Amino acid sequence: MRVAGLPVNYECCRPELVSLPVQRFTSSFPPVQLASVPYTRTVGGFTSLIQFTRLTKRYGSVVAVRDLTFEVRPGEVYALLGPNGAGKTTALRCLATLLAPSSGGASVGGVDVAADPIGARRQIAFLSASMGLYERLSARELVVYFGRLHGLEGTRLRERVEELVDMFGIGTFANRLCGRLSTGQRQRVSLARALVHDPPALILDEPTLGLDVLSGQTIYDFIRRERARGKAVLFSTHQMDEVDLLADRVGVLRDGGLVAEGSPAELVARSGEQNLARAFLRLVTGELGDAVAAAP
Amino acid sequence: MNAWRVVCAKELRETLRDRRTLLMMIVVPVLLYPVLLIVMEQLLLFGMRNLEAEPTPVAVVGEVPPALAALLEGAEGLIVVPIDGDPDSALRSDSVTAVALVGGPTGVDGTRAITLLYDAASDRSNRGRGQLASVLDDWGDTLVARRLSERGLPATFAVPIAVADSSIARPEEVGGYTLGRILPLLLVVITLLGAFYPAIDLAAGEKERGTLETLLTAPVPARDIVIGKFVTVALIGVIAAGLNLGSMILTFQTGALQITEAIGLEVSLPFSAILAIFATLVPLAVLFGAIFLGIAVGSSSFKEAQNALTPVYMVVLIPAMLPIFPGIDFGPLLAVTPVAGVSFFFRDLMTGDAEVGLGLLVVLSTTVYAVAGLAFASRAFGNERVLFGNDGGDAEVGSRSWLEGWRERRGDRGPPEPSTVFGFVALVALLFFYGGIRLQLRFGEAGLLAAEWLLLFVPAVLIVVLTGVDPVRTLSLRRPSPRGLFGSVVLIAGAVPLVWAIGWLQSFVLPVPWELLEGLEDLVTAETTGRLLWLLLLLAVTPAVCEELVFRGVLLGGTRTLGPGRMIVLNGLVFGAFHLSFQTVIRFLPTATLGIVIAWAVWRTGSIWVGMLMHFLNNATIVVLASTPALQGVFSDPEAPPPLWLVPVGVIAFAIGARLLLQNPPPQEGGYTIPSEDP
Repeated sequence: MRVAGLPVNYECCRPELVSLPVQRFTSSFPPVQLASVPYTRTVGGFTSLIQFTRLTKRYGSVVAVRDLTFEVRPGEVYALLGPNGAGKTTALRCLATLLAPSSGGASVGGVDVAADPIGARRQIAFLSASMGLYERLSARELVVYFGRLHGLEGTRLRERVEELVDMFGIGTFANRLCGRLSTGQRQRVSLARALVHDPPALILDEPTLGLDVLSGQTIYDFIRRERARGKAVLFSTHQMDEVDLLADRVGVLRDGGLVAEGSPAELVARSGEQNLARAFLRLVTGELGDAVAAAP
Repeated sequence: MNAWRVVCAKELRETLRDRRTLLMMIVVPVLLYPVLLIVMEQLLLFGMRNLEAEPTPVAVVGEVPPALAALLEGAEGLIVVPIDGDPDSALRSDSVTAVALVGGPTGVDGTRAITLLYDAASDRSNRGRGQLASVLDDWGDTLVARRLSERGLPATFAVPIAVADSSIARPEEVGGYTLGRILPLLLVVITLLGAFYPAIDLAAGEKERGTLETLLTAPVPARDIVIGKFVTVALIGVIAAGLNLGSMILTFQTGALQITEAIGLEVSLPFSAILAIFATLVPLAVLFGAIFLGIAVGSSSFKEAQNALTPVYMVVLIPAMLPIFPGIDFGPLLAVTPVAGVSFFFRDLMTGDAEVGLGLLVVLSTTVYAVAGLAFASRAFGNERVLFGNDGGDAEVGSRSWLEGWRERRGDRGPPEPSTVFGFVALVALLFFYGGIRLQLRFGEAGLLAAEWLLLFVPAVLIVVLTGVDPVRTLSLRRPSPRGLFGSVVLIAGAVPLVWAIGWLQSFVLPVPWELLEGLEDLVTAETTGRLLWLLLLLAVTPAVCEELVFRGVLLGGTRTLGPGRMIVLNGLVFGAFHLSFQTVIRFLPTATLGIVIAWAVWRTGSIWVGMLMHFLNNATIVVLASTPALQGVFSDPEAPPPLWLVPVGVIAFAIGARLLLQNPPPQEGGYTIPSEDP
């Protein structure tokens, strides 16, 4: 997809002024038969793949995440929205088992992250902008390494790696050391790395941070493709256009707590603003108080 | 493939692509000795040529008799130059190297006083003084010879004794002696350098490049990651050390370079010594790898890690350098001193008088330190504050003060942390070593009693009270089940003869301080019932209560997070080390074994009372046996083996006791899981 007239620095574009056409995604990949039974569980009548239950993360007296409860269902893209320091990264890291919750919990595919962190990691692909690649491994070696860590071996591993190399167009630089790759190429290798075990849930922490339009587009295409395959996608961002483009539902975080939740259209309607960016601004500055959050 | 092997294979591949590591791992170790020797050789040759080509200027002040003038004239490499004025300033200006101030003949025989003026801080002046003195000696000899012949006496008249040096050391021994002082340091330093950069790169480097977060999303326990990384670092340290050793042997042993011959540095290490050196380098590399990795992972960048590790480097260098200083005898205490033991052991191996017992002690203690280092590294990797402590994304992280953490733990009231209890045991051991021995020397048996209660019991109670930890969970203050209690008694009944057998077996290897043993025997032998009761209180009840409270109480309670296996073995080893003294290496193995058995029983039963009972039974057995006249014959010969029938009986009792305890599940405290599993 090409977006004519968009500035190259994506972060500079004002979402209020640019209204991007939302394209219906048609997948060229066959939908994967999700083994839904073992890793989905029913919560409140819905089948959720990712479930936060009153998760709280404290650092001494500072509460980074407060009593967070929400869920993401299979085939759903959920955007976690919030200003810097709202606790998005901490919440996602708790889910990815990189941090231990202080109280409450989270589960992925029915696996509790605190009780079985290793099992939970098998259920998720975690990608964040701060994640690096091993500079002295080639792109292919890197994907193979993570495949091995996920227990893949032999032919299965080789086939999966080649599949990912094709899927993300890594072929031309698969044997180049990661230290010599461009930012866009690195992002594609990171995606291949995160997906090597084809997990049912994807957690993306500001996945387009620092990427140009084209590389950002790779991410958007990827998110849509995975949604079409029935995956649950949870991503954090503070860019409204991304939310508009991708999210089925949005959760807004302020000071570690969820202040509003709903589809983008619902949030805009509830706030009485014209677009999501303005609605978000009101929510995070607390102007709306709890009025929006309290709405059904 | 195991996850740690996947990690290790990848780390090795990546490390071998890093030029800096390759330099430290292969180039420096291999080229160090040839380059060092070639440089030394060239400098030495250059210096010799210089010294020989240039005659040494000397001066003589005062009367110069013709005989002396002739000798000075004839001396090779010596030139007499006239000086104006002060001999001191002539020396300082370097125009002469030495000045002889010749006095006139005095007394009946006309003895002359001659002062040799030189600069002891200058090589050139020392050499000039030597040459001048030798000319003066020659002159003196001719004068003596003339006087003797004038009186018609034979030349040997003035030589009542003739002393000649003759060293029995073969050239290779001389070489070993010289090199034995320097090479251990080089071997240790190269092993250290080999592990230094990979450790930083694999821990802090991984954090700096943001790959640690990536790695920790893989479904692999932190423990496997640590093991994989640690095996890599240790392997590189071992490879560097091995190449270094090989290069050293090639350089000094094959005589490929002329200089080894020229300066008499022929080294001929037997194959067994080379093997022993290598076998010791392995745990040393493991120790360095674990410590470096554990510290480096707390740093967020390469530079920070370098800053954090440099003090460690310095601290390691000091014990490694000890063998250079003369007059330090290698003994058990040095053998268990980290790094110093290794360095001294290498020195003795190179000079050809290494002792097997001390060597074993070095390898064993280094292994213990390595295991402790590994536990430390593993903990560091499992600690999220260490892993993400300096991450910009969560600025609040890491801002928590040490005090807050302490308060939080206090509120938690769980057992203390391993670092706390290790520090506590180290402190108590030091207190006991310095204070306890003084008390015993001063007050005898009463001093021992006071030392046990004041320096072990009181501190153990204090640490529990002051840190506010849960006393029941920390000290295992629980009533044992009847099965557990019975099993423990049977277990110790089996362990006593087995430990006796171990003690007897090791007397073939380790030096036995017979006089000390005889003294001990006198101490534990009671003649009257009153004395027997006092001895039981002093030697059985008191250690059982005080030592158990420290080792099976605080130490065991605080190390639960290490997992049962490591916790129990470490407990025994620390217990054994605590009983070491200058002369009693022989106590280590039996005491450590006993410590392991008791620690296991306390863990299985969850009760320290079981430990106290077992400790009491063990000590009381010795006192009672020694005080029973009918049995004293068994001990009259300390070199005799224990009665052979006791060994199978011991094995059977031990097995029954162990089985009873195995049927007794340990209490679930929630502290047995390794926290590194869920970072």
